[in-house]
Amino acid sequence: MSEAAFSTQPSRAGRRVRRLILVVFLVAVAVVLVLPLTLTQPAADANLDPETLGIDFAINKSIVRTETTIAMFVALAAAWNLIGGLTGYAAFGNVAFFGLGAYTVGFLTDKQHLSFALALPLAPVGAAAFAGLIGLPLLRLRGHYFAIATLGTGIAVGEVIKNIDAFGGGTGLFPPILRHADALFFYLMAANAGLAVLVTWLVLRSRFGYGLIAIRENEEAASVLGVNTTAYKVGAFALAAALTGLAGGIFAQWSSFIDQESVFPVQYNVQMILMAILGGAGTLFGPVAGAIALEWLILALAGGGTSSVYAQIGLGVLLAVTVIFVPRGVVDFFGGSSRLSLGYFRRSLRETSV
Amino acid sequence: MSLLVQQLILGLMLGGVYVAVAIGFSLVWGILNIVNLAHGALVVVGMYATWYLFTHLGLDPFLTLPVDAAVLFLVGYALQRGVINRVIRAPLFFTLLLTFGINLVLINLFLLWFKADFRSVTTAYSGAGLDVGSITIPYIRLAALGIALLLAGAVGYLMNRTRTGFAIQAVGADKDAAQLVGIDLRHVYALTFAVGAACAGVAGGLLSTIQAISPTAGEPYTLQAFVVVILGGLGRVSATVVGGLLFGLIEVLAQSQVPGLGAGWSNAIAFAVLVLVLVLRPQGLLGRPA
Amino acid sequence: MRGLLSGIAALSLLVACGGASGGGAPATKTGEDIILGAPLSLTGSSSKEGALAKQGYDMWLTWINQQGGINVKGVKHKVQIKYADDQSKSDISAQLTQSLITDQKVQFLLGPYGSGPTAADAVIAEKNSIPMVEGNGAAQAIFSKGYKYTFGVLSPANKYLQGVLDLAATLSPKPSTIAMLAADDSFSQEVAAAVNDYAPTKGFTVVYSQKYPNGSTDVSSLVAAAKAKSPDMVLNSGHLAEAIAINKAAKDLQLNAKLFAYSVGPSTPDFVNALGKDSYYVMDGSQWTPQVKYKPSFYLSVADYVAAYRSQFNSQDDPDYHVAESTAACLALQKAIENAGTVTNADKVRDALAALDVMTFFGEIKFDGRGVNVTKPMVVEQIQTDGKHHTVYPADVADKPAQYPTPAWSQR
Repeated sequence: MSEAAFSTQPSRAGRRVRRLILVVFLVAVAVVLVLPLTLTQPAADANLDPETLGIDFAINKSIVRTETTIAMFVALAAAWNLIGGLTGYAAFGNVAFFGLGAYTVGFLTDKQHLSFALALPLAPVGAAAFAGLIGLPLLRLRGHYFAIATLGTGIAVGEVIKNIDAFGGGTGLFPPILRHADALFFYLMAANAGLAVLVTWLVLRSRFGYGLIAIRENEEAASVLGVNTTAYKVGAFALAAALTGLAGGIFAQWSSFIDQESVFPVQYNVQMILMAILGGAGTLFGPVAGAIALEWLILALAGGGTSSVYAQIGLGVLLAVTVIFVPRGVVDFFGGSSRLSLGYFRRSLRETSV
Repeated sequence: MSLLVQQLILGLMLGGVYVAVAIGFSLVWGILNIVNLAHGALVVVGMYATWYLFTHLGLDPFLTLPVDAAVLFLVGYALQRGVINRVIRAPLFFTLLLTFGINLVLINLFLLWFKADFRSVTTAYSGAGLDVGSITIPYIRLAALGIALLLAGAVGYLMNRTRTGFAIQAVGADKDAAQLVGIDLRHVYALTFAVGAACAGVAGGLLSTIQAISPTAGEPYTLQAFVVVILGGLGRVSATVVGGLLFGLIEVLAQSQVPGLGAGWSNAIAFAVLVLVLVLRPQGLLGRPA
Repeated sequence: MRGLLSGIAALSLLVACGGASGGGAPATKTGEDIILGAPLSLTGSSSKEGALAKQGYDMWLTWINQQGGINVKGVKHKVQIKYADDQSKSDISAQLTQSLITDQKVQFLLGPYGSGPTAADAVIAEKNSIPMVEGNGAAQAIFSKGYKYTFGVLSPANKYLQGVLDLAATLSPKPSTIAMLAADDSFSQEVAAAVNDYAPTKGFTVVYSQKYPNGSTDVSSLVAAAKAKSPDMVLNSGHLAEAIAINKAAKDLQLNAKLFAYSVGPSTPDFVNALGKDSYYVMDGSQWTPQVKYKPSFYLSVADYVAAYRSQFNSQDDPDYHVAESTAACLALQKAIENAGTVTNADKVRDALAALDVMTFFGEIKFDGRGVNVTKPMVVEQIQTDGKHHTVYPADVADKPAQYPTPAWSQR
């Protein structure tokens, strides 16, 4: 009977809460999406007073930048969710796809002088192709081995690229600056995030999705029941890679400067996983909520000097607390039948302690 | 030719360092099924401990090793008993995340207490070495290799000839059955982790004589410990020794003997090895098949 | 906000007119504070260097505010510097730079530490048309993209070890072979490429040239391979940790070169503290040393600068060049603002920067078309056997001759 706390059938009160949260969330999203449109786009040839222009322009730029970064992490967390949350294969190296997408766009725009519009679609393609390629051998591994192998791959890809001078070597790549495009980049990132959520939604309702969940719950049984586990796993992996790579491609043009350190940061791996888990791995909106909350927090705390050190400590502690006390993520409280209470934490603890 | 011999010797000595670092890591992974991403940070604790004793008490770094072991033993016991024990029964990657979080906390604590300064333990005899023709064998690195092998031997003895070791092995083999025969799981888990941490401490003490100390100095070693364990295999001390020495040799030889491949590829080589072994022979060279 | 600024503009105009017609009246009016933004590595992998850069900025800040502020057409404006910690990461640096501009309303930017963050922030400066003057990012790649708003007061990367080679050409017995070890980041690679190009022109041969991952702590196999080629000179372009590692490995493996020169590391107190006597004889290419003999047209003289540093930071050490180059960046910005005669028109200040030509304690500051200061030479300094840094090249600023050749390790 004490298992009722973890049943997945939401109570009536839970359903009402869930609806309310959803409405609030959608309104917030609408506001966030409309806000960047207020960025005035001064005509390049307008003979307007520079100070006036600067101030009007600058009012929302920083906020838009923050929003763009948050949207990026929503996409990354949601993409990871496909392979980590739904399929249960905890990939620890998805940043490799981010970097690959970024370098694809960076290389094509900086060295081959292709336009951004032409280069961008190739980012997800390249990332997915790579995922398909290494996914075949890697997805044969389980548990720790898979996690470490992907972690290693993530690092190795960055190292290899850094050693190739044609890709900028240690210097990096400089896609030509696109001016007055802050709003554009926000919408691109937001579209990518939306796409990731949409894809997750579609997958969850499809046979493919059921297959993935079956693989997560019991891979042998799934295989016996006729699920082509290899194809499904690689498919999820490639899908996650494509969405992650797209984010990388947009990032490359947005920042107009990329190098190995900036687009293959090991910490991104953990960030996207923590966001998905904190929100609720395997759920639709969990990664979204987790990404928004966590990235907003990280950005809010950046810049303060010693406070960044404390912020990192806080992040580490948050990781520990999440994993110990809230392993199913925060979404469990919203509309799930679990209620936020000390008992919930105690049960989580007892479930996983030795 | 003599350059090759020099490189081989360097490779073995580098391997010795890897063995020292990987012993504790392998023990914790093999018995507790915990991949400790904070292992490198524990090594750094050992480094700072030795540095402190060397600078403030004038102790020779090799004499500080037992102190390092003791300090890390306590730290490790507390960590496992207090924190990591809470997620043992959770999905595997939860422990990965937890140890990553511990790693973050430790590194930033170092930053707070020691700042990002580079510290060094330089003894009067550093730089002295055995000269055989044009080949130099630095004494300190040779000693480090020797101590690493001794450490491996000590852990092997602990595991195979003592009651504690048997208890640990029992827990590793089947924790529920071990509990049934009266073994206190929480205590043995903490003990195992503590031993692993103590090894990390010794490794840190050794490393402090070889390289500069800084808060993030341990990061590369965590990842290299992975490769060593995967290469050699889980479950046996000898596997870790073989893996460590072999990996040291591979790194040095690949960089120096393969044309076009320089030191810039060292991480890429490490992970190529890692992935190859995982795919072709996941149990490693000497490990027991899964 | 708009109203306020035009109010200030009007006030400044009034004051200027009043000053011109009044004639002889001293400039004692005080205007609005000038706000500068400085994203810096206060934590993270470059925090040591970031702290040095901050010292440089703070030294100028204290001095300029003691003078009453920057003089813009007779009105003095005190200065505020808003710092933000970018954790040595370029994407965070970019985010913070934008936030400094938008939220903190900074009017001009001082550069971050490191070529990566500098490149990322240069993009933001460009997008917002805000001039950025930097003294801590020497990779030339930043300046080859046609950016108009970024200016670097430091000598570019390719000059870092040229001075060492020039010096070596004058030494006797003249060395002939070089082992070049370089980290794989952009700055270090540019230094190394310059060495590879310049060495043959001076009669040297590069017998060993290898790159290693940035931040490596074990370079013994590289040093062993270098030793096998018996180089007369061992050169390194990289960072502090690696310089320490290479020096240690050279001693461990008995690599006895006649000359050791590292691009970054030997100038910092940490290097000497970490290595003690083993640091003796090591040279580095330096942007500036306390022995240079420039006669500045404004701000402090070299001697006064050293004294001011010691008193402001309660230290026995000399300021190292990271401090000096950061102060120089502030000086360039200050002069440009004064020359432009405006604080609010960023483009005019940018043009004033492009046209700047001024002599400071740091050397001459004059930017070429790309925004690089090509007029200032690098100097070579050496840690000599008295445990102190001495300038050894060029001859007109040297305070001691170079101690050469370096004795073998076993004889020290």
